Amino acid sequence: MKTEVINRVVLTEKKTSEWRSYELAGFWALRLTLVLVILILGVIVFDIVSKGAGVINWEFLTQPPRVGMTEGGIFPAIVGTFYVTLITIAFAVPLGVGAAIYLNEYAVQGKFTRLVRMSVRNLAGVPSIVFGLFGMAVFVKIFGFGPSLIAAGFTLGLLTLPVTVTASEEALRTVPRAYREGSFALGATRWQVVRTVVLPRAIPGILTGTILGLARAAGETAPILATGAAFFLPHLPDSIRSQFMALPYHLFIMSTQHHAISQVRPIAYGTALVLLALVCLLNLAAVLLRKRYRDKVAKGL
Amino acid sequence: MIQTNTNLKIDQTLVQKTINPELIKTTQDNECDYCEVKVENLNFFYGSIQALFNVTVKVREKGVAALIGPSGCGKSTFLRVLNRMNDLIPGTRLEGKVSIHGENIYAPNTDVVNLRKKVGMVFQHPNPFPKSIFDNIAYGPRIDGLKDKVKLNEIVESSLKGAALWDEVKDRLNEPALALSGGQQQRLCIARALAVKPSILLMDEPTSAIDPLATQRIEDLIRELCSNYTIIIVTHNMQQAARISDHTGFFLQGEMVEWGETSKLFTKPEEQRTEDYITGRFG
Amino acid sequence: MASITEKAMRVLFVFCGLAIILFLVGILYVLLSNSMPGLMELGFGPFFAADRWNPAAYGEPTYSLINMIYGTLMVTLGALIFAVPIGVAAAAYLAEIASPWERELFKPIVEVLAGVPSVVLGFFGLVVLAPLIARIFNLNSGLNAFNGAILVGIMALPIIITLAEDAITAVPKEYRHASLALGGTRWQTIWKTTIPAAFSGITAAAMLGMGRAIGETMIVLMVTGNMVARPDSFLDSVRTLSAGIAIDIGDVVFNSNHFHALFVAGLLLFLITFIVNLLADILIQRKPEANK
Repeated sequence: MKTEVINRVVLTEKKTSEWRSYELAGFWALRLTLVLVILILGVIVFDIVSKGAGVINWEFLTQPPRVGMTEGGIFPAIVGTFYVTLITIAFAVPLGVGAAIYLNEYAVQGKFTRLVRMSVRNLAGVPSIVFGLFGMAVFVKIFGFGPSLIAAGFTLGLLTLPVTVTASEEALRTVPRAYREGSFALGATRWQVVRTVVLPRAIPGILTGTILGLARAAGETAPILATGAAFFLPHLPDSIRSQFMALPYHLFIMSTQHHAISQVRPIAYGTALVLLALVCLLNLAAVLLRKRYRDKVAKGL
Repeated sequence: MIQTNTNLKIDQTLVQKTINPELIKTTQDNECDYCEVKVENLNFFYGSIQALFNVTVKVREKGVAALIGPSGCGKSTFLRVLNRMNDLIPGTRLEGKVSIHGENIYAPNTDVVNLRKKVGMVFQHPNPFPKSIFDNIAYGPRIDGLKDKVKLNEIVESSLKGAALWDEVKDRLNEPALALSGGQQQRLCIARALAVKPSILLMDEPTSAIDPLATQRIEDLIRELCSNYTIIIVTHNMQQAARISDHTGFFLQGEMVEWGETSKLFTKPEEQRTEDYITGRFG
Repeated sequence: MASITEKAMRVLFVFCGLAIILFLVGILYVLLSNSMPGLMELGFGPFFAADRWNPAAYGEPTYSLINMIYGTLMVTLGALIFAVPIGVAAAAYLAEIASPWERELFKPIVEVLAGVPSVVLGFFGLVVLAPLIARIFNLNSGLNAFNGAILVGIMALPIIITLAEDAITAVPKEYRHASLALGGTRWQTIWKTTIPAAFSGITAAAMLGMGRAIGETMIVLMVTGNMVARPDSFLDSVRTLSAGIAIDIGDVVFNSNHFHALFVAGLLLFLITFIVNLLADILIQRKPEANK
């Protein structure tokens, strides 16, 4: 009897240590997947930074392409991306914030709000090339904008809309109910409550969402293929009806469409680096803003 | 021991002094010449759950009315009926009649915004806006369209004085209101409500989230204010109700069990359930 | 005056909410109305015939999307085979095993990866991965379905990791405690209790990743070679539906059959991703109940 008990204890111990080593091996296997993901990102970023950094100088950033785009810089593409994202913001932010205010401040939660939220999620899942088709058919053709900054900006705005709605709604939700109640109890109307108490408090969060959406829009290529992006333009766009050059589209043509692809490879690398840096900076700005904002909320200010 | 005895004595004299036949008569009749708030057969529902049952009460002009009862008994719901804050909760429904200054506030043509300007509210947790002290007080007048700096200054000063906060904050009106202590924040919220010039002030357990000293200051303030305002206060603290109120209503499970002179309700309640509650047999 | 502003603002905000629905319906309507003339004139048959996509042919144009559908399926399937195991394993590690500093370090990395524009990933596939694949498999060109699958998988990784981690984290602590209290090891608890409990959420993560993979355009446009022939293996060049649209969208003649055919392809893409996302959505909505 006694020996049996001891044996059992010993057995279990052995089993436990065996299990322990299996477990550790398993944990390390899982940890390796993380290493793999980091490695993938590391290799991509390293490749682009190491081969693109040498190309980037003041001239590259401030000069237009020259000699059939085999020399010179990418200034028009930077300007074009800047302009088109401005229009994207002008389209997506008011609509997105408005829809979020409707969902969170005005609407009675029910079938209709569920339908709106479902539409937001499904809009987020629509392939970017389908937005391109829609933009071409509606903004370029039906509205008659032609291929232009405004047609491309609206198309990108549509694509960004789910991001702004979701982020704005999240920001509105962090505003304590007590503020709304305090304001209502003083005889404020709903719009006064939103304007004077809710929005001031939610704006940093909305801004964060806007920057994230903007970063996404700035990197998109498929929606602008047929709505306004141009292969090469001798001058900068002078109105919202002009076509434009854009960084992602420029990278695309410099790596696949140019007549001397291997010759312009350094320019493509430089463009990729500028685009990557731009998107990362925007994301970083959004993350920092969000962190500062959360700290502030945590402190109760 | 001795101290307790003296206290008891004082209490009794106080009670004896206040209970005079005339007052008891008014209470029994439950009538007043000019009723500030008049509630008749009020039933209130959150969706399918009924929260208030057939509440009928008349509150006189000026003075303090306290609502007591165990938590979840409907006293806060009742308070929020009076400035229609319950409108903000979807799915609520109300039967019966609620009049303020003789007007049915649930009539279809009622301007809720105006109603809430007449009937101010102070919440359980101080909720100043994340703005400066000045902007907090000026909030109500500003949303009312007042832009005149001089008038705003006057209102801010008089409201802060009215809430006994002026001397403490007059030199730092532009500092954030959230930097004030809890008790000061609550008095700021009272001042903010006063700035809209209401005639009725609803207070939902205004001292439950602040320390005893600050509580005493607010109780003193309530006594001062009640000569100019009708104050209806929800409290879970029976001693507080006894200390500051003229009338008290006892709520139990959505029913207003008893309503009457505070001194009478606490010494000679008519209902057994009231007596059980105030003697601590439940709740 | 005040009440006019009040009403106007309400109408404005209701309109914004309504606009979201209208945009989604509008996209469907535009796709339908622009593909209908083509479908009416040609019927469904030619789009799914065992034929090639050659809408600009000098002789008889053909509009078959079938090889592009194969291409899309191959790239999507390959991407999922690559991304789902890695993504779920990484999510399980992050949610169950990782120390706080590992999490702190890794979260921003996932966010950065999610932010890399697909055209940059495509560029990387073109200039780095393609030569590598060509050398390893001894091919003339590394622009094929395999290359596309890897990069689309990388693109889908962040979304799978993030959502799968959310799903695993949402599993109630009590489940884990019950398993551990019964003498289960952590490893057993993860694989026998936590992950099965989070299964619908993880499936939803994989499906949303799939939705993104099906619609991804720039990567496949740049790295799969875009041949319209029927692919035999992952080492063949393929053209996906999305890339097919992107290639022709620039110079298609307005209101031609070719134009309508592009919208048929777009409609197909829209419907497939819509259904996939809808199913994922239902799975996510169902999740809390399953966890009860």
